[in-house]
Amino acid sequence: MTSLTRSDSSLRSAATTPANGWLVVAQQELRDIWLSWRGPVIVFMFSLLLSLLTYLAATNKELNIIDQKDTINLVLQITLGIGVAVSLLFSADAVSGERETLETLLLTPVSRRQIAMGKLLAAVSVWPVLMLVAVPYVWALRAGPGLFANAVVAAFVVGSLLTAAFACLGMIVSTVSNSNRLSLAVSFFVFVVLLAPTRVPLSGWFGDLIVRVNPVTAGSRFLDKIIVSEHTWGQEATLLVAPILAAVIAAAAAAVLTGRLRLQGGMGG
Amino acid sequence: MSAFYADIGKMELNPVRDPTHVTAGAAGSDPAGAVVAVDGISKSFGPLEAVRDLSFEARPGEIIGLLGPNGAGKTTAIRVLSTILPPTRGRFTLGGIPHTKPGAIRQQVGVLPESAGYPLHQTGAEFLRYYARLFGHPARTAREIAASLLSEVGLGERGSSPIATYSRGMRQRLGVARALVNAPSVIFLDEPTLGLDPAGQRQMLALIRDVAGQRGATVILSTHFLDEVDEVCSRVIILNRGEVIAEGSVADIKRRAAPRTARVHVPPEMNDEALSALKRAEGVANVGSIDAERGWLTATFDSAWLDEHGGVHINSAIRALTDADVLILSFELEGGRLSDAFLSLTGEGQQ
Repeated sequence: MTSLTRSDSSLRSAATTPANGWLVVAQQELRDIWLSWRGPVIVFMFSLLLSLLTYLAATNKELNIIDQKDTINLVLQITLGIGVAVSLLFSADAVSGERETLETLLLTPVSRRQIAMGKLLAAVSVWPVLMLVAVPYVWALRAGPGLFANAVVAAFVVGSLLTAAFACLGMIVSTVSNSNRLSLAVSFFVFVVLLAPTRVPLSGWFGDLIVRVNPVTAGSRFLDKIIVSEHTWGQEATLLVAPILAAVIAAAAAAVLTGRLRLQGGMGG
Repeated sequence: MSAFYADIGKMELNPVRDPTHVTAGAAGSDPAGAVVAVDGISKSFGPLEAVRDLSFEARPGEIIGLLGPNGAGKTTAIRVLSTILPPTRGRFTLGGIPHTKPGAIRQQVGVLPESAGYPLHQTGAEFLRYYARLFGHPARTAREIAASLLSEVGLGERGSSPIATYSRGMRQRLGVARALVNAPSVIFLDEPTLGLDPAGQRQMLALIRDVAGQRGATVILSTHFLDEVDEVCSRVIILNRGEVIAEGSVADIKRRAAPRTARVHVPPEMNDEALSALKRAEGVANVGSIDAERGWLTATFDSAWLDEHGGVHINSAIRALTDADVLILSFELEGGRLSDAFLSLTGEGQQ
């Protein structure tokens, strides 16, 4: 073992409180996701799923009955669902799954909010990657150049809003939860509860209310209208209100609550 | 000189020299030279008061042992002083920075937590680079710091190996390297030798001595191993149920537990002569026979043997025995070790 000879005062002089601590955290977390098995495996499995779906849509006579616009809608809805779910699970795991290493992170001058923000950014990185993977499949199924662009942009906007909302939700639950299992379970339960109405036919004023209040059903219905019914964005703009509100409220709540990030879960200073 | 040192020399920014920092004086005594000044801090979790009214000061280069049985509040005290937890009451300064500026304090402290986790898939070098970046160093400097620290803690050749392949001792040394990444003026080490083999313990203690001796950093060492404290610490703080029950130099603490008793072994046929001789000796308050058939006696002195007159009384007792031509088979002073003091002060021995 060599002796310690570093000039401490010089080294301390060079160290500062990093203004972009969130970026350092995000870079490390991104490496952890994308240079480990997690990210690549998810992308690979997702590609397999879309390949199968596209192959069946292109070759299977029974599936060929489905309108191409419906198939594009299906591919993008699946992309959206998986992207949001994975981002949610990654963010729900971000703090509660790393309590052992959290203490050393909290000992750095990077603020707790910046630590959470860095982890959150890494968690949501799954969404644009999955969207990018889905684009060639949508192109292969395209019913026309106008629809292709409109469908991709609509899916990206809705997916980004929902990913932001659910990733922030996952981060909040992860911050206040003592147990990683509890954090993942609660986050996923909320997602499933909000996702379920998209599989149920809702009619009447109450059904319409549910669709518009629930950000997942509202986003899903928006894609239906834009891709399948070929409505304009202006016609269905009200369906974006719930996803936008959900993203804004969840982000604001996350900004407040992650500032109180503690070694153990729970709320408070 | 490496490019790193050359670059460091050009930098003038020093965040810890903020003139708005309150100088260390919170503890109410002369702050000159005190890098740590703790003034009556307490930490409660609901109705449980984990740390109560902790006060002490520490100077640069000191190694202070933080002792106490399980649940005494050592880890909580370290978490409060390293700003992981806010104090419920009281105040402290580290390097002149008040506890109300936790971000600035974190620039000054390095901590090896008791249950430090490591990202096992990362290499040691990646791990240290990451933390150097979190302390504001640019990527190139962070690389040089990581390489230098790995070498300093004896992991230079394992820097590119995943942490998963490190032994417990190597991980602990990596943890110390991480705690040094910001060149802290105060380092908290929470059970750094726990789970290490004797060789690993020796390496860690040597590293701790180097950190204090060569860097001039103040080290607060929390440990269960009293021999370690005896070996490397200049001062000791003993906590029990959240309260400081003793504080002082290692010699002071030992003196408090130094008993006034010696066990004397003489040939059984000389038992009576030995008893008579000891009764005549100066400073011997009481003499008794423990096991006359085997020649075991006990002598109680007026002063504890580490006190001012204690040594004189012991010599007097030995001289009395030799003057009476009593063969001394053994003369054992009871207590006087740090472990005796610890057990006596915390009441653990009675339990």
